[in-house]
Formats: sequence, structure tokens, C-alpha cells
Amino acid sequence: MSELAEPKLELQAVSKSYVRDKRPYPVLDRISLHVREGEFVTLIGPSGSGKSTLFRLIGGVERPDEGTVRIGGRETTGERGHISYMPQQASLFPWMSVAANISSALTTAGVGAAEAARLASQWLERIGLGDVAKEYPHVLSGGMQQRVSFLRALLMPRDVMCLDEPFAALDALTRADMQAWLLDLWEAERRSVLFVTHSIEEALTLSDRLYVLSRGPARVLREIAVPFPRPRRADVWKEPAFVRLKEEVLELLQKGAEAEHAL
Amino acid sequence: MASKTGWRRALLPAGTLVLFVLVWEACCRLLRVDPWILPAPSSIARHMAEDAPRLAGQLWFTLRLALKGVGLGVAFGVAAALLFHLIPGVRAALSPIIIITQNIPLIALGPLLIVWFGFGLLPKLILLVLVCFFPVAWSMLAGLGQAEPHLREYLAMIGASRWEVLRRLELPASLPSFFTGLKLTATYSVTAVIVAEWLGASEGIGHYLVLKSKGYDTEGVFSALICIVALALAFYGAAALLERLAIRWRPRRTAPQGGKSA
Ligand SMILES: Nc1ncnc2c1ncn2[C@@H]1O[C@H](COP(=O)(O)OP(=O)(O)O)[C@@H](O)[C@H]1O
Ligand SMILES: [Mg+2]
Repeated sequence: MSELAEPKLELQAVSKSYVRDKRPYPVLDRISLHVREGEFVTLIGPSGSGKSTLFRLIGGVERPDEGTVRIGGRETTGERGHISYMPQQASLFPWMSVAANISSALTTAGVGAAEAARLASQWLERIGLGDVAKEYPHVLSGGMQQRVSFLRALLMPRDVMCLDEPFAALDALTRADMQAWLLDLWEAERRSVLFVTHSIEEALTLSDRLYVLSRGPARVLREIAVPFPRPRRADVWKEPAFVRLKEEVLELLQKGAEAEHAL
Repeated sequence: MASKTGWRRALLPAGTLVLFVLVWEACCRLLRVDPWILPAPSSIARHMAEDAPRLAGQLWFTLRLALKGVGLGVAFGVAAALLFHLIPGVRAALSPIIIITQNIPLIALGPLLIVWFGFGLLPKLILLVLVCFFPVAWSMLAGLGQAEPHLREYLAMIGASRWEVLRRLELPASLPSFFTGLKLTATYSVTAVIVAEWLGASEGIGHYLVLKSKGYDTEGVFSALICIVALALAFYGAAALLERLAIRWRPRRTAPQGGKSA
């Protein structure tokens, strides 16, 4: 991976405000960040700080007021169809089988129908969900649904995967399970990922780099490189360096909150 | 276990119905009600048995007319719902006219249609389509707009096309509302077809009803009424059956209750 290669995703000074009660309500304040090829980057910030809004800008669902979005080395500001996406709710279509949920998303990304169906069943088999490929999603548990949702995002041939708090709705045990599972699968596949969470442990366990965001309007408070080697153990949280980093991030987030109060 | 609750659900209404018929029969006999005012169920049944071939023929005629009307009406309804949903402004532009058509009494509209289009099939079909398309169009339109916002957001984020959003999300999401409308239409259509035949037809249960009522043949009138109610129930049942066949992804709420715990 060369440092010279253009990042898969690059945001340059992206700002966005909504109008609320007829007054501008700034949500994002000149956010710049990038994700390199095969890199796992996390955005961490308090809820309501504008992380999902940032994803909507990257996905082209909305346009930034200022700044540019570049995906795959090309400016794509306001253009849809360049990312794959995994939201907090699994968002599987209840009237499609598990396999069809995956293959239909692949056809949206330009994969032929037969190839999409083949990929879906092959990968469901690989993650141990081959038995339920033909079932409707409601028979799956919350954790299983998120696995399918992740697989759907992973298999779409897009430059960046955007994961928006994918585990926030799961209970603690399932969540830890899912983190370990995702770590394994991602380390084998190495896609470029932008991940949102408000859990510091989750961020440090999974990512190569993280951006700490302030309370809204969100600014990038700091960029932190996570030093733990790959492949990473799911129990990396036991290391002293992990604890130090966690405290650092926590302090940043708290300071961001205090600065807000001081204003 | 499941069969027990199923039994109770079928038994209770059936029991009420039988009781109702028995009380009716008893009243007619004990109070010696004149048959041309209110015939007893037994004499209606006898009349129906005697007139069975004719009734069946008339019913068959009515059934075909109703099916044509419902088919056309539903097709128009679905087309209208899609048009209103996909092209902004059409709904606002056409709503007043559609509301007006729904507020003109059939009794007034029917004769007008006959004046304009004669006694053939056309005025009857127009009447039926006017009645049948509205419930389907309006419920389906509501369903198309009510698709889960988070699924809509997901499709927007991955850059799905308008057609993909319609086919993958909005159409399937609107099916339950569509069937709500279809069940309404199925019931209304039978009343409408009777009115259409009443106004001008040489055959059909509606025509039979007019003849019998003009001749003060109350038993005949009741025979026709029973056929009409049966037809309406059959239409509703068919719509409900179609719904169950089409919407299979929903976890069943009622049926396997007992079965699962056993
Ligand atoms: N369409 C919108 N119109 C107005 N305000 C919005 C809209 N979408 C989000 N917001 C506001 O923007 C802020 C950031 O929201 P969001 O991006 O969902 O935060 P996060 O994902 O970090 O929790 C919130 O205060 C939210 O109320
Ligand atoms: Mg969010």
C-alpha cells in the first residue's frame, strides 16, 4: 500500500447546516478526512454530532454547503451510487429471502443477476448462514440480521463501505461477538471502511485510524493512529496501551463537551 | 391446540346465524306472518330449491359481469395509484374530479349512463369501474407512500434507481394496503353490479330481484337476496385468500399460536 496512492475516500472541508425554526443550524463544520485503500477508519463522536449526516453527504443523498467529496480518486460531491452502506437497523427487506436481499443489492451495484445470486449463496455458506439463505429475514436473530447486512455491504463492489453504528442496537454479548466476527472477516478481505460508533472500545479494537469529532456542529478534534498490529486479537483491550488511548479519547470527548458548555 | 381456537372462531358466528334463522322461523310460524310480508326461512329454502336452475343461471350472469367490473376497476385503481405516486402534481390536479365521482349516488349516475351509452354492457362496466377503482387506488396510494423510512434511506444511500425503489420497496410495501382496498372493492362491487342490473338488464340476479319485487313475490326477493349475500361473501373470501397467497413474508400472528408452544 503506497502512501502516494490517492485515498479511496477524501473529504475536504465539508460543511453542512440545516434550517431549524427559520435559522441556520450548523451540523458539520469544515470536516476533512480520508480513508486509504484497505484501511479501517472510525469516526467517533457524541450522538447527535452529525455523523449520520456526514454519511448522507458521502452517499450523495444530500449535498454539502461547502467542501468536496472525492471517492475512488474522482470528485463525487452530491453523486449517489459510489458507496456500500450498513445502517444501525439491519434494513433487510422483509419480503425478500436472505439471499435475495444480498443479491438484489449487488445488482444495484452493477453485478449481473446470476453472478450476484452465486456470490450471495457462496458467502452465506461461508459465514455459516447457508441454511437460512432461502428464509425470510424475520426468522433471523438481531445479530444474524446484522451479519447479513454486513455481508451485503461487503460484497457490493464499491470503493468505500460506510458502516453507521452497526452494532449499537445489539446487546453487549452479541455485540462483542459481532466485533470479533467482523474483525476476522474484514482482516481477510481488507476493504476500505469508514465506521461510525460512539463506543471507544469498539473504535480502538477495530480500526487503523480514528477521528474524534466534537459535539455538534462537528469538527475533527483529533486524528489518532491505532498502533496495535494486525491481525488483531479481539482481546486487545487488555493491553495497557489500549487503556491509555481510551483515556485519551475519553478526555478529548469530555473536553469537547466542556468547551460547548463554556460557550 | 391451534385447531381448538380455530373451531371456536368458526363456531361462534355460525351458532349465532343458526339461532337467528331459528328465531325467524319460530316467529313466522307462531305469529302466522303473511308470507308476502315475511316468508319463513323454510319456505325461502323451498322456493330456492324449486327455482334453482334459473337462480344459478342468473347468478352466473351476475358473477361474470361483476368479475369484469372488478377486474377493470382494480386495473384502473392500480394504474391510478402508480400514476399519482410517480408523477407529482397529478394527484392534486385530479383529486377533485375523483372525489366528485365518488359522491354522485349510483342511483342518479346509473340512469344518466344509460341515457349516454345505451342499454349494453358499456354503461354497466363504467358504473362498476367507478365504484371499484376508488378503494383500490386510495389504499394503494397510501401504502406506496408509507414504505419504511429506514429502508428508503438504505436504498438512497446505495444509489438505487427510481425503478428499483418502486419494485424492491414501494410495491411490496403497498401490498397489504392494496388488499385492504381489494377487500372493500370486492364487497362494494356486488352491490354495484346489482344496481347496474336493476337499472337496465334482461338477465342477472339484479334483474331477477326487480321482477320478483314487482310481482310481490317476497320469497323470490329473499332468494335473490341470499344469492347476493353469498356472492359478496365469496368475493370477500376470494380477496382474503389472494392476500394470504401473495403476502407470505409476514410472520403469522394468529394461526400457529398454540402450535408453537406445544
Ligand atoms: N433533515 C434534517 N433536518 C434538520 N435537522 C437534521 C436533519 N437531519 C439531522 N438533523 C440534525 O442534525 C444533527 C446531527 O444528526 P445526526 O447526523 O443524525 O447525528 P449522529 O448520527 O452523530 O447521531 C441532529 O441534531 C439532528 O437533529
Ligand atoms: Mg447517527
